[in-house]
Amino acid sequence: MKLLTHNMLTSHVKGVTKGYPLLIKATEVKVNEVEFNPQFVSRMIPKLEWSALVQAAEELGHRQDLPGELVADYETNEEFLKKVHRILLEVEVLEGCLQCPESGREFPISRGIPNMLLNEDEA
Amino acid sequence: ITTVPTGFEHTAAEEIKEKIGVDARISKDRGRVFFPITTDKLFQVHLLRSVDNLFVVVEEYHHYQFKESKEETLMELQQLASTLPWTNALEVWKQNGTLKKKKGHRRGGNTAKSKPNCEGVGGSMASTEQQELPQENSAPEGWAGDTQAMETSTQDSDETGHGSKLIKFRVTCNRAGDKHSFSSNEAARDFGGAVQEFFQWKADMTKFDIEVLLNIHNEEVVIGIALTEESLHRRNISHFGPTTLRSTLCYGMLRLCKPQASDIILDPMCGTGAIPLEGAIEFNHSFYVAGDNNDMAVNRTVNNICHIQKRRADKGSMSGLPIDTVQWDLCSLPIRTSSVDIIITDMPFGKRMGSRKKNWDLYPSCLREMARVCRPGSGKAVLLTQDKKCFSKAISRMGGLWRKQHTVWVNVGGLHAGVYLLKRTGAVFGQTPEDVYESRGAVHMQGEEKDDKELS
Repeated sequence: MKLLTHNMLTSHVKGVTKGYPLLIKATEVKVNEVEFNPQFVSRMIPKLEWSALVQAAEELGHRQDLPGELVADYETNEEFLKKVHRILLEVEVLEGCLQCPESGREFPISRGIPNMLLNEDEA
Repeated sequence: ITTVPTGFEHTAAEEIKEKIGVDARISKDRGRVFFPITTDKLFQVHLLRSVDNLFVVVEEYHHYQFKESKEETLMELQQLASTLPWTNALEVWKQNGTLKKKKGHRRGGNTAKSKPNCEGVGGSMASTEQQELPQENSAPEGWAGDTQAMETSTQDSDETGHGSKLIKFRVTCNRAGDKHSFSSNEAARDFGGAVQEFFQWKADMTKFDIEVLLNIHNEEVVIGIALTEESLHRRNISHFGPTTLRSTLCYGMLRLCKPQASDIILDPMCGTGAIPLEGAIEFNHSFYVAGDNNDMAVNRTVNNICHIQKRRADKGSMSGLPIDTVQWDLCSLPIRTSSVDIIITDMPFGKRMGSRKKNWDLYPSCLREMARVCRPGSGKAVLLTQDKKCFSKAISRMGGLWRKQHTVWVNVGGLHAGVYLLKRTGAVFGQTPEDVYESRGAVHMQGEEKDDKELS
């Protein structure tokens, strides 16, 4: 699971109103090489929940020096974009789980696949 | 010529114009696209993603006058073999052959498997002939997949190293039309026999160097030579599932929705991941999330992704692809509202997977959930389904959320299906009149269920 995906995932357990962002408990993390495309990154940033991304990066120990708030003129700041690129696409959680911040329900991640299926009574 | 999934001829023509720079002529609804090129462009033609098979035309007749009787017709075909302008086409075939050698040699054994869609050669023959009677349009999906391969019988013997230049060939005939006095079997046999006589090649059904095509569609006759060995149908998928889509069809669907840079593209019923994987490779400036509720499906998807990444790594390029896989329930997506740009998927067919009744219930609820996660105003959906009636009905009740923009009719494994391009309206989810009505209906039903439980 890449952090870009994590940024979109929420808990949908019945009755939960604050199911986002999911907390990450990772037991195995991998870093890949993905081709860097600055346009992709700069256009993706506005679609993200920035604080959730930073929090997730922190939880994985990969935050490095990612700022808590977006810098101005990030579109042209290639160094910054490279950092974001890395955290969005290159860091992957292979094993672990995602936890709903409200209900505490855990969703397992195995082979990089988060299992978000709910039991009948939770849906 | 190339064959493409029927319905996507325009997409192929577009890709051809874009990547090769020539205008293509489309044989509408028959899954064929013709275009002229110079041999220096051959390499690029092999890189096209929307085409299944490539052929070079030896000769083309638009209004071939068949003789009355079978014997005369077949005689004529035989005579034809020696009069055709083979030279140029063979030249192209030769050049193509050197290209393929550069790409890496493929084992002869593979060619036997090169028609993955062919469910037993005899079986598909029958369906070709039957289909012609009612409608013109139901052409077999991609020619190579449904043709009868013919071997001229007697020449089995002598494998003894004759001289390395002995060329082996086979003739594949595809015939459609109800006024022919002969079958594709017979045509292939007789034409093949004459070709063999003329060139002194050896006929071999499985280990051939040249595949000669004889395509007869009513009065149109085309003779060609194949330039592709394996069909490019399923190039990305190494781990198949029961209904894995052809890559060329996936490509066609992706082109239809015109993915933009940084678009977030979801396939909520991904199966083996064919569509998002094709996207991650070909339209790699977007990001793909493939999801399914089924254990096997998500695992197969990950296997397929890993396979491709390993292949890329072996070639020395950066292997990571912009794609992720999640296991989820499509009617209750664990995704933030309005965060997805495009939804693209192959919806379960009543006959091949799932059931018609299930579709009646499934379609409206999944369309709603897809509308929820899709960005209002700019969002799009490209959905493939065979259950057109059910789908159309479901869509018509969602006018507040989805608008039909375009439909492409395609043929998938012999079944007639539709690819629907939908636009997400600007309406915020949960506020259109239909929404309110639908959700009230659902709540009401749940209430009833609860009562039943309490009673029992």
